[in-house]
This record gives sequence, C-alpha cells and structure tokens, in this order.
Amino acid sequence: MKRSKSVRLVAMGTGLLLVAACEEAKVDTALFESVQQCTGLGFTAQECEANYREAQRNHVNVAPKYTAKADCEADFGSTQCEVAPQRTSSGGSVFMPLMAGYMMGSMLSGGRRGAGQPLYKSANDRSTFRTGDNKAVAKTTGRTSVARSATQTASAKTRTVSRGGFGAGARSPMRRSFGG
Amino acid sequence: MERISVEPRDDWRDTAEAHGFRFHTIDDERYWDESACYSFTLREIEDDIEDPTAEIEQLCFEVVARAVADDAVMTRLGIPEAFWDFVADTWSQQHRNLYGRMDFAYDGKGPAKLFEYNADTPTSLYESGVFQWVWLEQAIERGIIPDGSDQFNSLHEALTGSFSQMGLAGTLHVACCKDSEEDEGTVEYIADCARQGGLDAKLIYIEDIGIDTEGRFTDLQDEPINDLFKLYPWEWIMTDEFGKNVPNTNTRFIEPGWKALLSNKGLLPLLWEMFEGHPNLLPAYFDGDPAASALGDTYVRKPLFSREGANVEVFENGERTVSVEGDYGAEGHILQAYHPLPNFGGNYPMVGSWLVASQPAGIGIREDTSLVTGNNARFLPHIISE
Repeated sequence: MKRSKSVRLVAMGTGLLLVAACEEAKVDTALFESVQQCTGLGFTAQECEANYREAQRNHVNVAPKYTAKADCEADFGSTQCEVAPQRTSSGGSVFMPLMAGYMMGSMLSGGRRGAGQPLYKSANDRSTFRTGDNKAVAKTTGRTSVARSATQTASAKTRTVSRGGFGAGARSPMRRSFGG
Repeated sequence: MERISVEPRDDWRDTAEAHGFRFHTIDDERYWDESACYSFTLREIEDDIEDPTAEIEQLCFEVVARAVADDAVMTRLGIPEAFWDFVADTWSQQHRNLYGRMDFAYDGKGPAKLFEYNADTPTSLYESGVFQWVWLEQAIERGIIPDGSDQFNSLHEALTGSFSQMGLAGTLHVACCKDSEEDEGTVEYIADCARQGGLDAKLIYIEDIGIDTEGRFTDLQDEPINDLFKLYPWEWIMTDEFGKNVPNTNTRFIEPGWKALLSNKGLLPLLWEMFEGHPNLLPAYFDGDPAASALGDTYVRKPLFSREGANVEVFENGERTVSVEGDYGAEGHILQAYHPLPNFGGNYPMVGSWLVASQPAGIGIREDTSLVTGNNARFLPHIISE
C-alpha cells in the first residue's frame, strides 16, 4: 500500500489561530484611570495609591517595547507612547505605550492582595483596556470581574524590544498564498 | 496515466468543513476539484515519479555542497553576502529539513521532467496528505472508483513520524503570514502533525514575531522562540528588518537556511550544469549565460524567486507567447527549455511530488487550464489502479 494506514487530526476543524479558549475562572477586581477614580469608589486613599505605584512599577517591565516610536504609535496611537527606561543592546532608545489605566490585583476577592496591573489601549480599539500582553480586560472602569490570568502580572520571560520585523515580503498585492 | 471523470461525493463540502478544510473554494473559484481524478499504474508511480524524486534530492544535496563552498554560486543564487556563512553553517551543522515538493511535468509516456523544486514553503500539503486520502477512502466505499484502488500518499504518516525524529524539544512555533486562509490551513495542519509527533505546537503570525534584547525571537507572550516552522520564504527573511538578526540568533528555523539554495530557480541551471543529460532534468541556464544559446529562441524565462507562476514568460520562436504578471524578477532570471505540460482535454496537470525528511512521500496534482500553473489551479485527487 502506498498510502498512510490512517489519517487522524487532533485539532483541525476548530478555530484557527485562535488558541482554544477554555472557560477560565473569573475574579472580582476594579479598573481605574486615576487614583481619584479609585477613592471615588470607596477604597482608601492608601490602598489606591499603593496600587497605582505598583502598577507604575510593573508598567516599566510589562509594557510592550519598541525600538521605533512610530511602530509604538502605530499600535497605540499618536502621542500615546513614551520613552522607556530600557536601552537596546546597542544603546538605542526603547519606546512603550502610556499607561491608560490600572487594575487592582485580587484584593476584592478577599484573597492575598495582588499586584496592581498597568493597562493599555490600542490605537484600533480605544474602548478596551488591555494588559501588557494584550489580553482584553474590560471596556469600562470601575468594579468588574475578569479572567484570573489577566490579573496576574505578565511574566517577563524575556523582554521583546521590537515586533513586526518580519512580514515585509508579504505586503504585495494579488496573492492568495505566500508559499506556493 | 489517465484523467478519469468521476462523480463528486454529494456531501464533499460538508466533509471538507468537518475536516477543517476551509479553503476548498478560494475567491469563489473551485480549488478542490473531484469531478475528475488522475489514475496511474504502480509502475508509473514508482519508476517514473518516486524513484526520480529520491534521486534528484541527492543531486540537490550535491548542489548545496557545491554552493556553500563557492561564493560565486551563492552570488548567482541571489543569496545576500551577509547570509553566506549562515546558510553554509546550517548545512554543515546538518539542520534537519522537514519537507519539500518537486513539481514535474509527466504524461505517463516519457520521463517526468522537473520544472522546479519548492523546497522552502510548499503549500497544498493538507489537501494532498489528508483530504485526498479521505476522498480515496470514501470514493472506494461508495463505488465511485474501483475496489483496491490505492494512492501514492504516505504524507501524513511521514510528517507525524518525522516530527518525533527531528531532535526538537518543547514548543515548536509555527508561523505564517496574516490574510491567507490557504497558508493558515497549511500551518494549522503542520501544527497538528507536530502535536501528534509529541511536540507542543504554538501558532503565531510572522508579522507578530518579536525580538528581545539578546537577539532571540519571541512570541506574543514574550516567550522565546526556540524552533520556528515558517511558511515564509527565506529570500524575504533575508531582506526583512529582522533578517539581520537571523545569523546570530539561537532560534532554529524549519525549513533550515540551506533550503534557500534549493527553493530557487537557480537550482535548475546548476543541476543541468552538474548533471547534464539526466532524463528528469530540463536544460536550463542562468539568463545572460552565453551557453543559453543552446536553447535557441524557444524557452521559458523564470525569476529566481517566483512563486505560483508569477512573472513566468514563455518564448516560442523568439515571440513571447505567455506572460504572467507579478512582482518578481529584480533578483535575476533563469532560462529553461520549453516543455509544455501534458494536455488532458484542455487541462494541464502538474505533478507535485512530496518529500518528507528528504524521502518521497506522495503526490498531489494541481491542474490549470493554462500552461503555466498559477493561482487559479485546481487540486485533483489521484489513484493507483492495477
């Protein structure tokens, strides 16, 4: 026999590049654009400020990084980017989006107090707060419940300093496949 | 070799959808076409396609060995100088290759003639390995084709098997470009095979790949990419902004860098120069080589990097009779003897002969109504009947 004895697929037929979205446990939290918003919802000024400072510290580490300001602005909008304290290995500037808001950790659930998380808004979706690793969190500020993973500080497995450096070849018209 | 009209399964569209084959129709044009199939004898398959495929692969290795030792050959193949050492290293370090597809003109009478070797980013993999196989099983079951029909198609077994033998560990990242359902289908299938081969596979778009401060490529979760299957041509990687990081990165690529030497029409004149007269090769020369006059005024002119027939031109008696549009050509051209595809009732089949880990693993036939197999080609199943 010149053919495979059997052909089995384990995953095809489901959603494509969308990794299977399992139902994830939700936790209660709250989103703010400012400390004032936080205290306005009844949290103590001390809690609100501590969370904000934490979010700002995390911001430096978890914000997406770019070596070109234009690339950052393309993703997050003009005037929505700032210079990051990091430098590239060759000493060049690194850019990151401004923090658009922050999220309290898991304090609302009564558990161990989680770290304040910085949030961002992308240029093409100004209504959604997203984590540094691009998980959509919520569309409004205030109390809400979000997937537990979104409240965890993005793990800095490594630090991506630039994206989009591949793919220029594909920006040509009249093509249905880039292979052949 | 015959072209046989057969009855399409009445539920083939649903079957396709259920098997994750979403690009069976592309831009409202039929791509999967089971209104006919090609029938071969076992002798035709084994002697005329399988054996020559294995043999040409060995000849290709000789071309690679020559190219990596000769800067002039690297130059002729359009490889940027910054990548010469890199390409040579991937060869000397024996970076494993996964797959490739040699395209042959074959009519069942004379020897199959190699048109080109898509050694880097071949598509039509899923429809060859899976959907064609499913068709055969069902077509036998429903009496559409004779009992005992077989197919030259061990692609799926070969792919899943080779993933477990490539020395990969942990996560294999699998990438294609955005906005191509066909390419997404291909990488999704690759990922499926990798998982069955015991790997963890993670899909990412080429455009989303990042780089960290140490020059490692990263995914959207900032995890370093150790092994990257990329359905994205090496010649584009080499000219992309991130290309300059490739020679020094620890990320391992599949296909490996040395495949850039084979997935290049420059392979064809090199093969002819080294193995002139081989029955499965067509005379070919680099454009501008005085020896090309041996072709006379009837030949085909192809850009070094062209895909899916783009920018291919046919000259007959000095007149340009076919010209395909596209945006290739700046990299240089080759001239190849004009050997028209066989004509089966106004259809011109190209036999794509698959290799997995450099071993022949099956065929897939794409048929066009023009002599240059292009973007409008349809995929037809085949059988082996005795």
